Amino acid sequence: MNIVLFALIAISAGSGPLFMIMPSRYPQLSRYLALLVASTLFALSLVAFFVYQFDGGSGLRYELQWDWISNIGFFGEDGITFHLGLDGIGAPLVLLNGLVIFAGVFVSWNITHRVKDYFVLLFLLVSGVYGVFLSHDLFFLFFWYEVAVLPMYLLIAVWGSSTNFGTFTRTKEYGAMKLTLFLVGGSVLIFIAMMATFVEAGLGTFDLPALSEVAYDPTFQKTFFPFYMIGFGVLAGMWPLHTWSPDGHVAAPTAVSMLHAGVLMKLGAFGILRVGITLFPEGAEFWAPVMMTLGVAGALYGAIAAMTQTDFKYMVGYSSVSHMGFVLMGLATLSDIGVTGAVLQMFAHGAMTALMFTSVGAVYDQAHTRDMTKFGGIAKKMPRHSAFWAIAGLSSIGLPGLAGFVAEFHIFVGTFQSGYEWAGVLGIIAAAISATYILRMLALAYFGPLNEKWEGLKEMRIGEQVAAATLISFLLFMGLWPAPFVDRISDTVSAIQAIG
Amino acid sequence: MIPIDNFLVLSSILFAIGMYGVLARRSALLILMSVELMLQAVSINFVAFAVYLSPEVFTGLVFAIFVIVIAAAEVGLALAIVLRLYRNRQTANVDEADALKW
Amino acid sequence: MGMEQAWLIPALPAAAFVVITLVGKYLPRKGDWVAIGAIAASFVLFFFVLADLLDVVDEPGFTGGEKSWEWVSFGDFEIRLGFFTDQITIVMLAVVSFVALMVQIYSVGYMRGDPRYGWYFAVMSLFVAAMLTLVLADNLLLLYAAWEGVGFCSFLLIGFWWEKRAAAEAAKKAFITTRIGDVGLLIGILMLWREAGTFDISEIFEFAEAGGYGATYLTVAVLFLFAGAVGKSGQFPLHVWLPDAMEGPTPVSALIHAATMVVAGVYLVARMLPLFELADPIALNVVTGLGLTTVLISATMGLAATDIKRVIAYSTLNSLGLMMVALGSHSVTAAMLYLFVHAFFKALLFLGAGSVIHATEKQELDELGGLASRMPLTTVTFAVGTLAMIGIVPLAGFWAKDEILHFTEVGQNAGVYGLMLLSVFITSLFMTRLFIRTFLFKSRDPESRKHAHDAEPAMTVPLLILAVLAAISGFVVFSGVGEAMGFPGGFGEFVFLEHAEEFEFNWDIVVLSTVLGAGGMMVGYVFWANDAVPATRMGELFRPVYNVLYNRFYIDHVYQFVIDRVVLTGSSIVSWFDRNIVNDTGVDGSAALALLAGWQLKFTSTGKLPNYALAISSGVIILALVFLIVKA
Repeated sequence: MNIVLFALIAISAGSGPLFMIMPSRYPQLSRYLALLVASTLFALSLVAFFVYQFDGGSGLRYELQWDWISNIGFFGEDGITFHLGLDGIGAPLVLLNGLVIFAGVFVSWNITHRVKDYFVLLFLLVSGVYGVFLSHDLFFLFFWYEVAVLPMYLLIAVWGSSTNFGTFTRTKEYGAMKLTLFLVGGSVLIFIAMMATFVEAGLGTFDLPALSEVAYDPTFQKTFFPFYMIGFGVLAGMWPLHTWSPDGHVAAPTAVSMLHAGVLMKLGAFGILRVGITLFPEGAEFWAPVMMTLGVAGALYGAIAAMTQTDFKYMVGYSSVSHMGFVLMGLATLSDIGVTGAVLQMFAHGAMTALMFTSVGAVYDQAHTRDMTKFGGIAKKMPRHSAFWAIAGLSSIGLPGLAGFVAEFHIFVGTFQSGYEWAGVLGIIAAAISATYILRMLALAYFGPLNEKWEGLKEMRIGEQVAAATLISFLLFMGLWPAPFVDRISDTVSAIQAIG
Repeated sequence: MIPIDNFLVLSSILFAIGMYGVLARRSALLILMSVELMLQAVSINFVAFAVYLSPEVFTGLVFAIFVIVIAAAEVGLALAIVLRLYRNRQTANVDEADALKW
Repeated sequence: MGMEQAWLIPALPAAAFVVITLVGKYLPRKGDWVAIGAIAASFVLFFFVLADLLDVVDEPGFTGGEKSWEWVSFGDFEIRLGFFTDQITIVMLAVVSFVALMVQIYSVGYMRGDPRYGWYFAVMSLFVAAMLTLVLADNLLLLYAAWEGVGFCSFLLIGFWWEKRAAAEAAKKAFITTRIGDVGLLIGILMLWREAGTFDISEIFEFAEAGGYGATYLTVAVLFLFAGAVGKSGQFPLHVWLPDAMEGPTPVSALIHAATMVVAGVYLVARMLPLFELADPIALNVVTGLGLTTVLISATMGLAATDIKRVIAYSTLNSLGLMMVALGSHSVTAAMLYLFVHAFFKALLFLGAGSVIHATEKQELDELGGLASRMPLTTVTFAVGTLAMIGIVPLAGFWAKDEILHFTEVGQNAGVYGLMLLSVFITSLFMTRLFIRTFLFKSRDPESRKHAHDAEPAMTVPLLILAVLAAISGFVVFSGVGEAMGFPGGFGEFVFLEHAEEFEFNWDIVVLSTVLGAGGMMVGYVFWANDAVPATRMGELFRPVYNVLYNRFYIDHVYQFVIDRVVLTGSSIVSWFDRNIVNDTGVDGSAALALLAGWQLKFTSTGKLPNYALAISSGVIILALVFLIVKA
């Protein structure tokens, strides 16, 4: 099993050379290779998720630890180790990553420009994401974090699209640059806090399980928790450091948007939980009200801003800000229900946003515009596509039976349990606002009489339908039977010291 | 024994003269000479403290020799640069050698 | 088979939904028989459950039959999927499964030839499944899930003909409006959970009776719960979606927007009434107040509405308001009785209206009229429904309305009672108008009348069955009737909150309400007979009043204004703020600042050696000075 974990990283990172030796004259070969790699990853992720046993305890299992540097200079035993392991928080997120890249390859089928390079970078990004979810060494966690972030720049700047919105223009270079600068800025904070943690612990190791045993000085915790919170929070789209996210979506190609909103933003929230809250329980407790406030602000702000967007991607981008606000709210409750809800929301939002971007991509490929006011009644031409859109939207507004409800419900219960009733109430209102922008979009673009101009639209490609159907099956799975997810997540979450 | 103050005053005066030379002169050669003065001021300090604080070890003296070696190397390099400068511009005035500005 | 298996009742239609959605295309008749078969089977199952319940209902300490499964659990936090059967549930089960069966059969005729015929039956099945889950749920979370589920199905069905702009807009409006109420519902549920630590309804009752909630806390919580009921049951001020919801197919209106989904709010309040009783009296006063407001405004708006379905929609609002007033007067019995009979006569009215629309393809009252001779069966059944709605002896509506009036007289002050009596008159007036303008006298649009005829048996048989029930179902109030059917007694001795209520004839009320109802009919006849000249003249005379009514008290206008000017402006401001302040000023601004700083600072690299030398030496000197000062 621990070989499976290693294989997830090795296959995704190691597929790069394979793509390089593919003949560039036959891009179709590269696409099939990508499908093969992605299917393997997806299958292995499913294995990792379902085989994972939960039985109380901290839940860290299937460990694999190789020395990288130890007993040299200021490094002690286990200085820096390549330490992989799966726990209840990582398991669903690993599955999410496999799911999104599997769907993403189908969606990337119509990329024609530099196909090989595109897939090399895409899978490099995926390897970084797997690395973060599986690493239990702070140094490697940071390393994979950077690996996940940096290919994004090239993917957006080379394969992205620039859009003129009339009053303003967003070029792909702008989107890519802004995203990278924000995330690197966040990394700086993380790096500082990481070094401080290493020195303060005085163990000479970056091993996370060892570091989490240390009782840090409360003042130290209170000083350095915000570094983790904001540093990772940038990637999680924490308000008001969220603006890279909608602009990044608008510039990015479809599959990259899927990975970006689907898994990349989860890395931030995951980092706050895995590093910040786990290492610094008292710091987390001290800063929880702030995190809650920022989460609620993001949830409401994103939802309100999404209401008047006319670009599909901006709407989804702001809705992501809103939903990641829920994740932060869940984390800030520091209650087992709320934090479990936050992890559930990471999965639910990941699958749901990926589905949304699949749908956006399907219509953009044909219409070459994402302005929803220019459409009308296209459900007639693309019934399945519309159904997929609607299901994604319904999950986002928290319709019972779909994943979003389970997650949001846990978060709201968590807020009420931890005495943040005001936040719970505002969160419920934000969830209700989601309904307005989703339904507004559906009513504008998909219902009503068919706009003559779009007589020629065709149903989305079969591959995209496969991708969407796969994502939907997981939304339904979690919505109808969340127990497999909740059991795994709560198993690990309740073992975290800060969470009562 | 000569009080250490005397050495320190001597080295301070040397250093100040050297610094004045570096800041006020425009000729590259004279600046180099002034730098040498400053280096020697430091050497004097090293030797004086070495003798006064720990006469039995030679750490300070070794450093003085280090300084001399580095000064020699530096002069070797710097003179070569000055020579090239003069060859190219027909002047050794550092004010005119400002090609590396913004 | 019995209460243990009650979960099968919603499970069957749910299975029908899955089957039709996945393979309906390949089934003969697109699978409509699957949907009808499933709901028929549910209806049969209902009798088994009922028999089981009747066996044990007299046992002391009986509170309801339960069956539950664990859904999510960790630590002491647990969510169960549970099904619970008691007397209130049984009434709802009877109503939902029976009316759904009738409507589904009717739909076979009504929806024939629709391009999305199979999808229609699939969604209707899903709706029935969700609605049955709602009434069977033993915990608030499952109830909420089903509550959202029925709302979603309602959205799909109102927007069933989404190619029409109006239908798409109405679906959106219905979903969002009810969603506003649902915010309150969810908050209320979480508030109840926070103190009690459970979602289970009976455990919450136990906790509340033990005094676990503070009085103020409980009042706030139940008012939040009530907000959900206000949205779903179309109470003022969230009633605006229901008239617009008439854009959906008419059988949908009959099932969802008359007989079942809209009474979910009434059901919720009835189910949670023990909590309302424990809370501050303000809570039930709010229920009464909003119910009464709804009764009055809906009846008056019904006077001016011109669309046949909208008029019936207003009558539905009117009925829902009455049920709320009954609950506000502490009577589950009266509310549930009205709910029970209302389902029959309101479904009947809608299906009758559907037959009219089906036959004439018109639904404006101004284009209808004189259909009585063409559609005798429809006319007669519609007349039964109308009279039942007005509350004429001995039709079903009469008994239920009298129960409500009785409890209002007992439980409320004279003002409320007076207004309730007034509403009887207005209701009678507008129902009379509806009937006369649709069926009597000469047609105003001969074209529509020409081809009109009674529909096929699939549509008329349900009408007849419902008409019979609308006529006789009220007799269940009598002990004798109830005992004959195997119940412990009359309706009041079966469904009650604290103690059984034997039905008693209150002659004052009977006479008053009959006089008011009949008076309304007579005035209505005078007004709208022939060419409605007196009514038109009245309209001219009181033009401002008419305008207010015709424009629905301008409530929709106010909401539209608020949405356009406040909500959307607010949203625009936020997105403008995000783009211009946060992004262009904050983000791009700091980038520009960095650029500017770089531009300015680069001029300090003059390239002149003496400048650098000066900088270095002054730096050293300053550092040395700082060192000295710090040291001293």
